[in-house]
Amino acid sequence: MNEPNQPPDDPIGPPDPDAGHPRLEEAHMWNVVSYLISGPVMFGGIGWALDRWLGTAFLVPVGILAGMAVSLYLVWFRYGTQQ
Amino acid sequence: MSLNVLGSLAADGGGFQTPTSAEFYQPLWFDGPFAITRPAVVLILSVGLIAWWLIASTRRAAVVPGKGQWVTEGLYGFIRNGVARDIIGSKDFLRFVPLLFSMFILILVNNLFGVIPPIQYPTMSRIGFPIALTLVVYITYHYIGIKRVGVGPYFKHLVPSGLPGWIVPVIFALEVITFFITRPLTLALRLFGNMFAGHLLLLLFITGGQYMIVNGGIGLKIAGGGSYVMAFVLTIFEILIEFLQAYIFTLLAATYIAGSLVDEH
Repeated sequence: MNEPNQPPDDPIGPPDPDAGHPRLEEAHMWNVVSYLISGPVMFGGIGWALDRWLGTAFLVPVGILAGMAVSLYLVWFRYGTQQ
Repeated sequence: MSLNVLGSLAADGGGFQTPTSAEFYQPLWFDGPFAITRPAVVLILSVGLIAWWLIASTRRAAVVPGKGQWVTEGLYGFIRNGVARDIIGSKDFLRFVPLLFSMFILILVNNLFGVIPPIQYPTMSRIGFPIALTLVVYITYHYIGIKRVGVGPYFKHLVPSGLPGWIVPVIFALEVITFFITRPLTLALRLFGNMFAGHLLLLLFITGGQYMIVNGGIGLKIAGGGSYVMAFVLTIFEILIEFLQAYIFTLLAATYIAGSLVDEH
């Protein structure tokens, strides 16, 4: 909360050009949720389509698991490695 | 036990009608797709009220603020510094403050209308209103991103650089779905769902409590009192949720805009 380089909360003062975005990293937490939803939905959907096409029944769970894996990989790659 | 009591009560008393999603459709004039509904009137009322308040509280702005000016400045400073500046960054944030501030205050007032008598209708519990607000955010962040780098590079930038080649198509598909479908969908549904469920819960406890007190025996009258206590507790909780959802919507809008402005890849 009280980081030393953060400017004081002055609603009328001019913006400090060196402040950057101190809370963007924290806000990325919410983007992670979107990724974790997209992966299983997308791959689960592909699995469902393949199930309909091939007449099988096991590709939906396989797709959901694969989607989770890809989502986690992307989240790790995007927010975990480029610091 | 309690289920049996309620069951028998329903059997002989004609029955307690649990509130359903049908409660939310309340046309005031006309019917069908062009009906003027209660939430539409509430929204127009909120816009008028906000405009009046913002003008009245800042018209004679003083260095030492009065009560009204203090509240307005507090809310404005909260969004300007706490959300816009800290997330979008001090270089670009000023031009987005009007959008974020009006969005926050519009959602906040409309959410609070859910518990303020005699209005008591959360506008955002009708899905069309969150969808309209989400569209504004959606168009804004895509427009900024495409205007900054162009259409082709915008799609290319969706994929973070340095990935192994074979996984790029998969990640690209995932990013496109996240950027174009999941983000707006979750943004609209989060606000809608919270307001809808909260209001339905309040309706259930209040109408259920009333039914038990009016129609029940002594035991059910006590349970009805308990139901009213729950309705009161949940109303306090609901006010908290209403603040939180307005804040989260604005925060996420700022995050998406920030993502289109910085080279994070």
